[in-house]
Amino acid sequence: MTTTRDLEKLLGQSINGDMDAFERLYHATSAKLFGVVLRILKNRAQSEDALQDIYVRIWQKAGDFQPGRASIITWMATIARNRAIDIVRRQRPESDIEDAEIEILVSHDTVFDEVVLADEVRQLEYCLDGLEDDRQQIVRLAYLEGWSRAELAERFAQPVGTIKTWLHRSLRQLKECLGS
Amino acid sequence: MTDREDIDMLAAEYVLGTLEPAQRQSVAARREREPEIDAAITDWEMRLSPLNAQYDAVSPSRDLFASIRSRIETAGQNVSANIASLSEVASLKRRVKMWRSGALGAGAIAASLIIAVLATDIATPVQDGPFVAVFHRDDTQPAFVMTIDLDTRAVTIRPVEASVPEGKTYQLWIKSDQSGAVPQSLGLLQNASVATTKNLGQFDPAMLRTATFGISLEPEGGSPTGQPTGPAIHGRLISVEH
Repeated sequence: MTTTRDLEKLLGQSINGDMDAFERLYHATSAKLFGVVLRILKNRAQSEDALQDIYVRIWQKAGDFQPGRASIITWMATIARNRAIDIVRRQRPESDIEDAEIEILVSHDTVFDEVVLADEVRQLEYCLDGLEDDRQQIVRLAYLEGWSRAELAERFAQPVGTIKTWLHRSLRQLKECLGS
Repeated sequence: MTDREDIDMLAAEYVLGTLEPAQRQSVAARREREPEIDAAITDWEMRLSPLNAQYDAVSPSRDLFASIRSRIETAGQNVSANIASLSEVASLKRRVKMWRSGALGAGAIAASLIIAVLATDIATPVQDGPFVAVFHRDDTQPAFVMTIDLDTRAVTIRPVEASVPEGKTYQLWIKSDQSGAVPQSLGLLQNASVATTKNLGQFDPAMLRTATFGISLEPEGGSPTGQPTGPAIHGRLISVEH
């Protein structure tokens, strides 16, 4: 088990140009980040290309990380998700892997400590549960799978404008529920 | 709907990922120069990031890191090539190389809002003279190159690819363990199209060596709060090991 503190230390060494430390950081985190990208892009080759971009970016932006604001793995996952969303919004890659197949590939060898997040996870899940069923689903599909407004409109047989309204209402409700 | 609510929903949908490509790009660009949007995005990232727990880990191909390493090294060389046209660089590179060979493995820089440069172990014998740092705007394009001469304690910042949005100005900051947790202003870069030199005679050279530097975008006249308020441009030492 690699702790958050270990990861932060490796990132700190990477800022100083230590490629070996960066490689250790990669090995501790790449399965999680690959899981993020693959779930959104659903294309293995494109996800591996994206993962390369993401780690080049992490190397270059290592100095931006502020401990105390977000956990290091959240910071890294945000970079990964942003990149995957940028790609999928430009053009959704041809899918060559299904969610069910991804599940089979899941690595249970958790290499870092996500326990600290448990409270935040519970709180957000509680607030998501407070949304109407389909609203909850559109938020999850958008965030986790990178669905566009148009894709959501098709799935829920609603005009795009309605989806936008649903999204805004749901997001405001979540914000209020989360109390910030 | 008020402007603030507009911005909040724009930030929320940016984080959620549902903005159209053009709008998404525009928010990403505005984030660089509008602290309010940047802060709203960060807040939404914090709110929604617990969903990341739902992403299962999947191992990528085993040899992927070799490609990443080689791309990082190539990018480092490109940056060096980009600034090669600037005067002094050849000698700087030589000196940085010497410095680096003694400095690798030095203590980690304290991560902070603004970042950067020149970390080395004070105990390491280091030749005084110019040090160099590159402030990146994006992945490959350097925005500023900064050199410090520790003998004279003069710092020179040369713009490479920096433009100033109207009504804004760049401000230089320093932060070190000795000077406390908050960054201190080193003043404004009045004209971002020419090199600016500042004298840091008030600082101890040993402190300068371990300090972190940053450049932030501020309202005209400088930060109203005495602390960086705008997006910061970050620097790091260029790779000169070819």
